[in-house]
Amino acid sequence: MIIEIWTKEKYAKNEERGFIGRLAHAGLKVKTARLSRLYRVDADFSRAEFDKLASKLLTDSITEHYSLTPGKNGLKNAYRVEVWLKDSVTDVVGESVKGAIADVLGKEPKTVRFGHAYYVPCGSELKLKHAVSKILVNEVVNKFSIKKH
Amino acid sequence: MTDNLSNFTSLPEKQLVELDSLCGWSLSLLELQEAQRQFSKMGRQPTRGELETIAQTWSEHCKHKTFSGPVAFRDGGKTKKYKNLFKETIVKATRTLNRKWCLSVFTDNAGIVEFGKSGKWGLAFKAETHNHPCAVEPYGGAETGVGGVIRDILGVGLGAKPVLNTDSFCFGYLDGKKKLPKNSHSPERIMRSVVEGVRDYGNRIGIPTASGGLYFDDGYLLNPLVYVGCAGLIPVDKIEKKVVPGDLIVSIGGRTGRDGIHGATFSSANIDEETTASAVQIGHAVNEKKTLDVLMRARDLGLYNAVTDCGAGGFSSAIGELGSETGAHVKLENALLKDTRIEPWEIWVSESQERMILAVPKAKMKKLEAILKAESCEYCVMGAFPGDGRLLVAHGDESVVDLPMSFLHGGVPNFEKQATRRKVKISSAAPARPASYGQVLKEMLAHPNVCSRHSVITQYDHEVQGGTVIKPLQGKYGDGPGDATVIWPQAATLDQHDFSGFAVSHGFNPAAGKIAPYQMALHSVDEAVRNLLCVGAEISRTAILDNFCAASPRDPEVMGDLVLAAEGCHDAAVGYGAPFISGKDSFYNQAKDADGKEYPIPMSLLISATAPVEDIRKAITMNFKEAGNPVYLAGTSRRGMGGSVYNDMAASGNNFISPLDIKAAVKLYSAILKAIKSGCVAAAHDASQGGLAVTLSEMAFSGGFGAEIDLTWAAREKGLSPLELLFGESPARLVLEVLKDKETEFLKLIKGLPVCEVGYVKEEPSLCVLDGGERLFWEDINALKNCWKRELI
Repeated sequence: MIIEIWTKEKYAKNEERGFIGRLAHAGLKVKTARLSRLYRVDADFSRAEFDKLASKLLTDSITEHYSLTPGKNGLKNAYRVEVWLKDSVTDVVGESVKGAIADVLGKEPKTVRFGHAYYVPCGSELKLKHAVSKILVNEVVNKFSIKKH
Repeated sequence: MTDNLSNFTSLPEKQLVELDSLCGWSLSLLELQEAQRQFSKMGRQPTRGELETIAQTWSEHCKHKTFSGPVAFRDGGKTKKYKNLFKETIVKATRTLNRKWCLSVFTDNAGIVEFGKSGKWGLAFKAETHNHPCAVEPYGGAETGVGGVIRDILGVGLGAKPVLNTDSFCFGYLDGKKKLPKNSHSPERIMRSVVEGVRDYGNRIGIPTASGGLYFDDGYLLNPLVYVGCAGLIPVDKIEKKVVPGDLIVSIGGRTGRDGIHGATFSSANIDEETTASAVQIGHAVNEKKTLDVLMRARDLGLYNAVTDCGAGGFSSAIGELGSETGAHVKLENALLKDTRIEPWEIWVSESQERMILAVPKAKMKKLEAILKAESCEYCVMGAFPGDGRLLVAHGDESVVDLPMSFLHGGVPNFEKQATRRKVKISSAAPARPASYGQVLKEMLAHPNVCSRHSVITQYDHEVQGGTVIKPLQGKYGDGPGDATVIWPQAATLDQHDFSGFAVSHGFNPAAGKIAPYQMALHSVDEAVRNLLCVGAEISRTAILDNFCAASPRDPEVMGDLVLAAEGCHDAAVGYGAPFISGKDSFYNQAKDADGKEYPIPMSLLISATAPVEDIRKAITMNFKEAGNPVYLAGTSRRGMGGSVYNDMAASGNNFISPLDIKAAVKLYSAILKAIKSGCVAAAHDASQGGLAVTLSEMAFSGGFGAEIDLTWAAREKGLSPLELLFGESPARLVLEVLKDKETEFLKLIKGLPVCEVGYVKEEPSLCVLDGGERLFWEDINALKNCWKRELI
């Protein structure tokens, strides 16, 4: 199960502006973009339990939204870029969340991995891939995918 | 490879070198042949684990072969020979000074000096570099750099409590247009990730990151420098440690995985396109915090006899170091693993983070286990220190290592390095006069090596533990550039009635090093001491750290730079009475770009300094405080634009480095310290990067006051041009704001010294500077601040 969390639109301007600036630095000029945090929780939990984790543990309900269906934070005609640490790389945030989940539900998931999703409306997947390689991922430790949303 | 290992002792040179490259050991042919000779003598072939152990024990990272080795330095027709460059310069200065307040120097994971009035505490201080890992994976490299230096503090004596982290970075210019090779990251990317790594580790573990610096030069384009430091408090009766035969080898903290294999040997290699992530470790601050909490509790209960950190080389290094006299018998199958797909030799040399090794008496193991469980800190008993002087490492029935410690630690061959003085053409011609000094000042304030560091500093938690008295950002608006940080470590001493603190500062000037490495070292020590003085620290008790970073030592000119800088360190330390207490070096910081062009870094020497602050309530900051107060310039302005920021912006035609007069500086600083202690000085700020005009501007806009300055009577060398006066970076100068009602007392204290009144602080927000009746510039301080306050990331 992937839990996706993002900042509510009225609070997200700063992080979006920063991200758009970084894309521009990598040669990709866009007017809008969105960002999400992703938690991939590998566990035999019920949907209600995942919902509890998302709402009670991982999301700040005042400033953030969550979804158990990836892609709800999307922009129309945008590419969705998912970035994760490679499975062989220690994921400190994922490990901490794993411990916290055990505290909340009384049972531990098999693994938790932490990642990011970026929504970028642009005309060229190639240009986007170049920018992603330049500013968002280090292929030494990261893996990523780009899909039309 | 198996064939080559089973025939190791008879391999010809070519195959030896190929084997070394295949295994990533970074051993020289001489070292490989010495290993061959030793195993031939033993009448057997080595195991992979034994060769891995030798590679890490003999690595540049662990043995510091370059700095501690013999050097022949050619200077003109003369040759000077050093048997051990480090001992004959850095250590020699400390031995000459022989300060009683130095409690432990050059023998442990960090240096320790006395702290506070009670006589109960020592202050441990250490700085490290993590350059190569940061070039490959900047976030992880920076994180684990911080984690590593914190573990040095946890592993000094029987463990010190960390109270301050420091960070100093060097990157290529962020807006550079140079074409980069395929495997490299842009400087902007490296900087952002390094800052995030330092931030995430320091903030999560709960140690303030509150002192450091940033420096840009295209020499660092492919080889960023990431200096990270840590200071901690240790009870003086916990400084001695000794493994007792029979003690158990206990590993606490993180688990062992395949991350970080070959980090130590990586330090002995140039980075190229083949460099992979296997040498990169991943940090976990929360695990280290658990380890820290266990250590502090167990230390105070006397539950272990010795401790050290698992750094480069992992178990091999840490257990080998602790058992260097007693020997060690290790059972690798007892190690807690992250990943079961790991070879025994990999467990032995893995550099997985957050692990500490303790020597625990059997009778105390139960009590220690109770604390480990209470803190949710994982541990395993890896074996014992037997007292037979042999390193025996096994995994089940398989022997991984069986070697005498004397061979590992005494067998490394070393050869004489050739060093020669770099030829640099020096011009001391009068620099050309620019069209507008005001315009130069504005451009100077926006220069990456001068502008505000707030976008980096504000990412760090510099308040955690509640002891950061003088903060990295100062002034009326909390955004002025501080000279030094002052820490009141009450979170460690738990004594809120003792207002003893300590200050930490840095000195760094690689631009001067390109021209005159000896003067660079003098200037760097001077800058660090002067920065301490600016907050009112007791500079007669300054202790310093040296962190050298250089390109390949195979280049005689690089070695020549090192010799000259090391000699400069010696002379400066003796001159200022400031002993070196610890240090580190990092070589092979050079790489090729896409066109095959070499990018060696300039000789880079970071001096980190600390000195006590007797009463933290009397420490001072750098911003102007009150209109009407007189402004004084202390020190003589001298000729020379060499190494200046101005020369980076516009070639002045003058690259002469002003020589430092240490005796005069010491005399001047002693008097100024008396004035600060007497409460005469409201603000002090050093004139360093950017020169005097930048110093005055920063004091003005950080305080929200203007100033009327007339430099006509300022102490200066004959023939000094206005450009050199405003933007030259001659050392040993600082600007002081003196309290008006204490001016008479101040004048008595500085009588006979080159300290001249140059103007006064005013309400009107403008900075006006005159010299000899000519107005050099008049600028609105808010306009100056706007130029200075750039967002670097």
